[in-house]
Parts: sequence; C-alpha cells; structure tokens
Amino acid sequence: MFVVRLQNSVQTRAVSKATHRPTYSAANPAGTLSRGRGRGRLWHDIHRDRYLYAMLLPVFIGFFLLFRYVPMYGVTIAFRNYRIVDGMFGSQWVGMRHFERLFRSPEFVLILRNTLLLNFYQLVFQFPAPIVLALLLNEIRAAGFKRTLQSVMYVPYFLSWAVLGGIIIGLLSPSTGIINAFIRGLGLEPVYFMMSTGWWPVVFVVSGIWNSAGWGTIIYLAAISGIDPQLYEAATIDGAGRLRQTWHITLPGIRSTIAILLILNMGRFIDLGFEQVWVLQNPAVRSVAEVIPTYVYRIGLQAMQYSYTAALGLFQSLVGLVLVLTANWVIRAMGEEGLF
Amino acid sequence: MPAWPRLSNALIAVFLSIVALLMVLPFLNVIAVSFSSSRAIVSNEVVLWPVEFNTRTYYNLYRDGNLIRSLRNTVILTVGGTVLNMVATTLISFPLSRPNFRGRKLFLSLIIFTMLFSGGIIPTYVLVQQLGLLNTFWSVWLTTLVSTWNLFIMKTFFGTIPASLTEAAAIDGANDLFILVRIILPLSMPVIATLTLFYAVGHWNSYFNVMLYITRSQLHTVMVLLVQMIRSVDPQLLETAPDSTEITRYMTPEGVQAAAIVVATVPIMLVYPFLQKYFVKGVMIGSLKQ
Repeated sequence: MFVVRLQNSVQTRAVSKATHRPTYSAANPAGTLSRGRGRGRLWHDIHRDRYLYAMLLPVFIGFFLLFRYVPMYGVTIAFRNYRIVDGMFGSQWVGMRHFERLFRSPEFVLILRNTLLLNFYQLVFQFPAPIVLALLLNEIRAAGFKRTLQSVMYVPYFLSWAVLGGIIIGLLSPSTGIINAFIRGLGLEPVYFMMSTGWWPVVFVVSGIWNSAGWGTIIYLAAISGIDPQLYEAATIDGAGRLRQTWHITLPGIRSTIAILLILNMGRFIDLGFEQVWVLQNPAVRSVAEVIPTYVYRIGLQAMQYSYTAALGLFQSLVGLVLVLTANWVIRAMGEEGLF
Repeated sequence: MPAWPRLSNALIAVFLSIVALLMVLPFLNVIAVSFSSSRAIVSNEVVLWPVEFNTRTYYNLYRDGNLIRSLRNTVILTVGGTVLNMVATTLISFPLSRPNFRGRKLFLSLIIFTMLFSGGIIPTYVLVQQLGLLNTFWSVWLTTLVSTWNLFIMKTFFGTIPASLTEAAAIDGANDLFILVRIILPLSMPVIATLTLFYAVGHWNSYFNVMLYITRSQLHTVMVLLVQMIRSVDPQLLETAPDSTEITRYMTPEGVQAAAIVVATVPIMLVYPFLQKYFVKGVMIGSLKQ
C-alpha cells in the first residue's frame, strides 16, 4: 500500500511539473516547484476521490447549499420589502425598518418574555428529570424489572406531539377529562387547566417531561455503566453509603455527559419545539403561550408578513447561536470538554 | 442486608413503578374512551376500560373518508421521505468517513455550521415557494433530506469498519462506489435499520412541515388532521367565555378525537419492539464519538 502511494505521488509530481512549468516558471521560478507540487497533489487527490465527490456533491449542493445556506442568505429579506413577484433577491432594500418596528412593538416584549420564561422552566425542571430517573433506575438491581420500567418509560418519546397534545387536552378537559372527574369527586370545582394562564406553563413543562424524560435516561445510564466499579468498591470499604456514592462517584462520573447534553439543549433552547407549543396553545392563554416560532408562523405565514417575521427569525437564530457558544465557553471554562 | 438499604430499595422501586404507570395510563384512557359510547364519555364513566363497548366511532371515521385519505398521505410521505433520506445520508456520510478524503474538514465544518445557525422558518419557506414546491410532498422531503445528527451517527459507524477490509479491495482495483455497496453497506445493517426507523418515525410523527408547506387539505397527513381537530375550538367562544361549559358542546367530540389518536398511533406501537431495540443502539453509536 505504502509503496503504491509513493509511486503515485512521484508520478504525479513529474506530471504536474511538466504541465505547470510553462505558466509559472517565468514569473517565479522559486515558487514553481512548491506550487506545482501542491496543485499536482490536489488534482491527484481529486481524481483519486472522484467517486466520493460524485456521491457527496449532489447531496451537499442539493441539500446543504440549497436548503441550508441559501436560506441563510435569504435572511436578507429581513432588510428588504419582500414581495413574491420580486423574488428573494430582487425585492427592495429597506434597511433596519422591520427591526425598528419589531423592537418597538409591545408584542415583541411579550413573546420574548414568554420564550425566555418557558425555556427557563424547561431548563430547571425538564433537563434534570432524566438525570434523576437514571440515578434511580441505576439503583434497581433486578435486570428484568429495570428493563420493563425502561421500555414503558420510552413509549411517549415515539409519539407525535399531535397525539400527546390530544391526550393531554382530553385528560384535562373540564367536562369529560378524567382529572377533572377526580377533582369533582373530591367535591371541588373543575379546573380549566388549558385555559388558565397559571396552569398552562405547568402543563407545558410536565408534558415535556412526559415526552422525553424516560428516553433521556438512556444516555445517562450508558455513561453510568462506564464508571469504574472499583471506585464503588473502594467507597464501600471506606464506609460511604449509597447516597454518598451517588453524590461523590456517579454524579461526577457523568458530569461530562451532562455538560455535552446541556450544550446540545442550548442549541434548541430558543427554538422551544414548535410542535409542542402549537398543539397545546389556544387563544385564551396566548399571553403566556405565544412564543417566537409560533408568532412567526401565525404572523409571517398566515398573515403573510414575510419580511417582518424574517427579522424576528433572524433575531432568534442569532440569540440561539450566542447561547450555544456561551454554554460551550462556560463549560470549557469549568474544565469540561466542550463540543467545539 | 441491613434494614435501611432494603427499605430505600423498595421505595425507589415503588416510586419508579408509579412514574412508569403515570406515563402509560393516559394511553389506556384514550383507548378506553375511543371504544366507549358518547353517553358514557360525557358522564365521566370511562377510566381505563371501555364503557358500553362499541366501534361506532371507528366506523364513522372510516365512513367519513378524511382519516383514510390522510393516512394514505402519511404513508406516502413516510415511505418516500425515508427512502430519500437513507440514500442521501449514505451518499454524504461515506465520503466524510474516509480519513484521506480531500476536503473532508471543509465539508464537515460547513455541515456543522448549519447545526449552529439557520436562516429560519420564513427564508426557507420563501425558497420553497420560489422553487414552486408548495403543495407537493417534495417540499417536505427536500427540506428534511438529511438530518445532520443522523449523518454523524452513520459517519461514525462507517468509520468503525476496519480499514484493512477496504484497503484490500482498493488494492484489487475496486473503486469507492464498489467499496461502499459491496463492503461497507453489508456490514452496516444495524446502523441502516436504526436510521431508517429514526427517519420513518420522524416523518410519521411530525406535522409542522406539512402544515407549513402544504395548504391543500387533500394532501394533509393524519397528524395535521389531528392537530386541526384538537385546535378546532372556536377562538371567539374561548375568549369571551373561558369558564362556560357551553364550550364543550362546540368541541370536536372526545370520542372521535380519541379514535383518531389511536389510529394514528397503532403503526408506531406495532413497530415499537424494533424501535426500542434499534433506537437504543442508535443513541449508543451516536454517543460513541463524544
């Protein structure tokens, strides 16, 4: 293998020298050799990898360039007055007008507050839930029982938010819901969970935990199983109880996993999961449940204010980017390995 | 064993059992509601077992035709989308998994950047609109063609296949396409199964893209239909009389909704055993790198 490589590169060097000398030697004889060699290598590699390019480029251009990078340039419609007839690149520039209108509108303050608050609740309650569940599951010694518990807890993760939302609203219905039947059974007035601005955020967070806490345990359990058992043995000999072992061995053992997942979570932070919010939302709770993505959808697409909401979308993307990079930086400063 | 650890063991087991039960009981309730009479539903008699068992609701849903059509759309969207996803993900993962591939770092950086920053909903929508893809399944298929996360899972898996196997073939004069099809893919069945399920479940469950790009109700999927049912409460009524029991009379009947939920969920439950097995594997493969 090595010999073949060597021969190849010697051959291409000779070839490239021959082809490139006429163009470069006159201008800069000293640079010719290194430059020609680099070029030769490049062409040689490209020729060698031609099948790989034939596989990669259609997908890269047809998807990543077209549907990821073109929209990134397309955010310029936030600085234009987008009209369908003028197209994405031909609409008139209007500078920061949409941003000025956005930052002045009272709605902006409201949806920004809602987005940040719901995110904060998620971070405080939903993020630690799988860690707690994983630590508890780890204490169960009967393998069969543990596996059954896990299988049952994964189920909600595989269901659509359309399904989960329908179930939640059905359960909490003031007239036919089983929860309110129970409340009435206690002789109390039925509670309008979905229409109460106080209850809605609670429903939002609990439904998020229901959806993903069980599933989230997988990665933590895997991390826990990677901890050296000798540490536990040593701790037991030193007289540490189970709580102390959890605190001093298990938790530090999964610290880096927690850190990575926290950064990944930050990436989706401001996005909040449109599908969850949208299905649970109703007009009565808009003052606490309208968030950036749902507002963009409602005003941008249903009311066709493309440029205005593109400005809001750009604001969201930038905040998201800053949050991921900040989380990554903080975690690295704390001595853990970051993502980047 | 001393008394305290045994007690705490029991407490943990009981607590986790309760959590697990709370997580699945809602589904049992919905199934029970879907098979109960509307009288029993309205008078709150249904808990976990159908009351006055009947399949009327299902029959009505079937007769109505909307649900069947939306299910057919979901199947088309899921099958077509998953095939495209798998082909595209394989084609882009394989070159990126070759350590000597020229431009590997550049492509990887460009791909990772799309995980950090995006144009957002509106510019993507405008692009799809300008390409004339609105109201076709292609809008959904193309905008979700490759999941970057899945790409990395597949790339990592390809990277774990011993280089000696591919090198031997390369010396015999095999090109990269041959190596991918004849050597790599046959050894990659676990990751192929995992990602196929990831993509298929994603297509089956998600409704946002369909709602965004497809406005013709003829092409709506079952999840979009379900969300419309759920959100179909008259907003006026809600805003003016949030605490009036009148509202419930205008809601989509609970039984119909429950039946639609069950129908939309059955396929997922049928593949659940496979899902569980491969999904756990997939997560592990994905986390190897970290």
